[in-house]
Amino acid sequence: MTETRSGEQNDPHPQPAGEADEHPLSVLLFSWMRSDLFDRMFLAGLGALCAVLAALELVIHRHDGGGIDSLPVFQGVFGFLAFALAVLSGWPLGRLMRRPENYYRDQPDKDPDNTVEEEKEDGHDG
Amino acid sequence: MTVDRLLDIAVTINPGFYLIAAAVWAVFARGPGSRGVALLGGPALALLALLYAPASGTEITRSFFLGFNMSLYRPDSLSMIFGFGFVLAAALSGVYSLHREDRMQDSAGLLYAGAAMAAVFAGDLISLVVFWELTAVASVALVFARQTKQGQMAGMRYLLIQLLSGLLLMAGVVLYGLDAGSFLFADLGQLHRGVLIGMLDIHAPGGLLILAGVGIKAAFPTFHNWLTDAYPNTTETGAVVMSAYTTTLAVYVLARCFAGLDWLVWIGAAMTVYPVFFAVMENDLRRVLAYSTNNQIGFMVCAVGIGTPLAIDGAAAHAVAHIVFKGLLFMAMGAVFMRTGTTKASELGGLHRTMPWTTLFCLIGAMSISALPLFAGFSTKSMIMTAAHTPAMFAVWLMLLFASAGVLEHSGIKIPYFAFFSHDSGKRPKEAPFTMLLAMGLASALCLAIGIAPGWFFELLPYRSVAMAFLAQDLFTADHLLVQMQLLAFAVLAFVLLKRLKLYPTEQPGVILDIEWLWRKAAPAITGVLGRLAGRLGVWADKAFGRAGAGLISGSGQIFAPDGVVARHLPLAGAAIWTVALLSFVLILAMSSPG
Repeated sequence: MTETRSGEQNDPHPQPAGEADEHPLSVLLFSWMRSDLFDRMFLAGLGALCAVLAALELVIHRHDGGGIDSLPVFQGVFGFLAFALAVLSGWPLGRLMRRPENYYRDQPDKDPDNTVEEEKEDGHDG
Repeated sequence: MTVDRLLDIAVTINPGFYLIAAAVWAVFARGPGSRGVALLGGPALALLALLYAPASGTEITRSFFLGFNMSLYRPDSLSMIFGFGFVLAAALSGVYSLHREDRMQDSAGLLYAGAAMAAVFAGDLISLVVFWELTAVASVALVFARQTKQGQMAGMRYLLIQLLSGLLLMAGVVLYGLDAGSFLFADLGQLHRGVLIGMLDIHAPGGLLILAGVGIKAAFPTFHNWLTDAYPNTTETGAVVMSAYTTTLAVYVLARCFAGLDWLVWIGAAMTVYPVFFAVMENDLRRVLAYSTNNQIGFMVCAVGIGTPLAIDGAAAHAVAHIVFKGLLFMAMGAVFMRTGTTKASELGGLHRTMPWTTLFCLIGAMSISALPLFAGFSTKSMIMTAAHTPAMFAVWLMLLFASAGVLEHSGIKIPYFAFFSHDSGKRPKEAPFTMLLAMGLASALCLAIGIAPGWFFELLPYRSVAMAFLAQDLFTADHLLVQMQLLAFAVLAFVLLKRLKLYPTEQPGVILDIEWLWRKAAPAITGVLGRLAGRLGVWADKAFGRAGAGLISGSGQIFAPDGVVARHLPLAGAAIWTVALLSFVLILAMSSPG
């Protein structure tokens, strides 16, 4: 059973921020991420960080095994390619191996024990 | 009897027994105070027993049972670090579950923890198997606790797999012990630089059976689906409890029995890689975490196979750190599950607005498992990566490096991103209850404590001097920090670019086929057909050979009766093998039965 505040559970077009209900800590920690500029700034900052980390190899001697891992920025390039391979493999593998939710015919519609949970907890929430 | 005398007796008791006693208390506990005593008092007593444990490697209690020598309490540096991890897990899950008044789950969780802890302090193979099977019995109650059809089916599959593993283990232990003439650890192996590891010979009778039994519990490739099946199908507290013990105990047993076994290097490396692909496709975030567990256990199994002091330290340290940060991630997903009724990525997103504390703690868990410097995973996994970084194991090291990037994808980014950020699902759940947040906060503090100042933690490891030397000379050196940051920063860059280019697969509802398809879909279909055929054959045979059939049954009775041919001539070891074979056959049939 979904526990949401009144009026929002079945809203097919939810408002993006819901600032009225937002927790103060969320405003403090995360609200800046919703800025229109955030995506571009984050990408620029990350690109700059990667460039700095690559450049640092000029001044920091790297311990390596003497094989291909001695190539410049080996771990960075390997990390980029490995991540991309893992993610991109999700397309063909997903098409091949994904089946409907009730494929094994033991999927429940809803979990009953959460209904009980909500009732029990109302007295002592943080 | 004086207090001193009582204390003298108390420190001779296996610390796991305090948790088992707390489990008994929890059955009768009524009210929050009494529950608190069980859930927190049990781990506190067990921790005290650990702190005052007698000298390392000494057999404290030895008993004689059914003609065999057994050692119920043999603490050493290997068992101490795992015991410490289990106490932490029991305490954290105890705090986490205070919000839910469920005596059955309280008791099952404590019994599970106690049995696991008793197993790591056991000093003989028989006690180890008995306590390990007790963990199976206790844990299955947690899978059933969700009380849904899905949970019950998953519980049955889990129980059958655990029984199969237990049977293999038991048969292996019987064969091995009878051949060696003792079941005591002290008689089976020798110390390696002061620690009893790798004590069993895989080529001795029963060695392979023991490895197979342990391998199932460690979720070796093709035996891993019990983990991805059970964890997402239990309650929010059940998943937290279950994530800590069974697989970690398997790592302990592998280290104790098979450290340095080459096969484990490759098995572990394979375990780190293939779950990455399944986790990318998976929509259920608790199932993603189960695949992630499989991946992290792979690092430990690989380290156990390498078998050097640094690798064993890495396996033990990573096992305990994994208990903390994986527990933290399961706690965060448990809170989401409790508040929204789902952990499916396609139904979540934007929860940070109303669950910021849970989000923050989840991010700490995510950074820890991704091995970001100054977080727990960095301190512990670095030992394994360093131990594997040799020319002879270069391919293995590359596999582990690939898996490290994969961990960042599925546990470091996917879990927090799709649950708390990503698109706004419109869900505005309440923040998690205070006790859940407290447990997550404590686990987060531990992640930071192990990450920022790991010295105190490394002091607890089996090869303390090796770990301290690694800390002083390798862990926080500029080049080590640089390469780790390169790996992570470039991988995050890949994520951002793939998202911008819309190449990151969207989260879609559905079930991802895995090896479990064989027993959840193919085997029931085959046994269904065979069953119908056998039924018709039986009817036909009854008509055609009624008397002959009765004679066959009578003859079988004489052969297998207590005084029959089999009982008279088959030796004990052979009988054990046949019993296991028959029971395994029955289990496999049961798993394959339709519905």
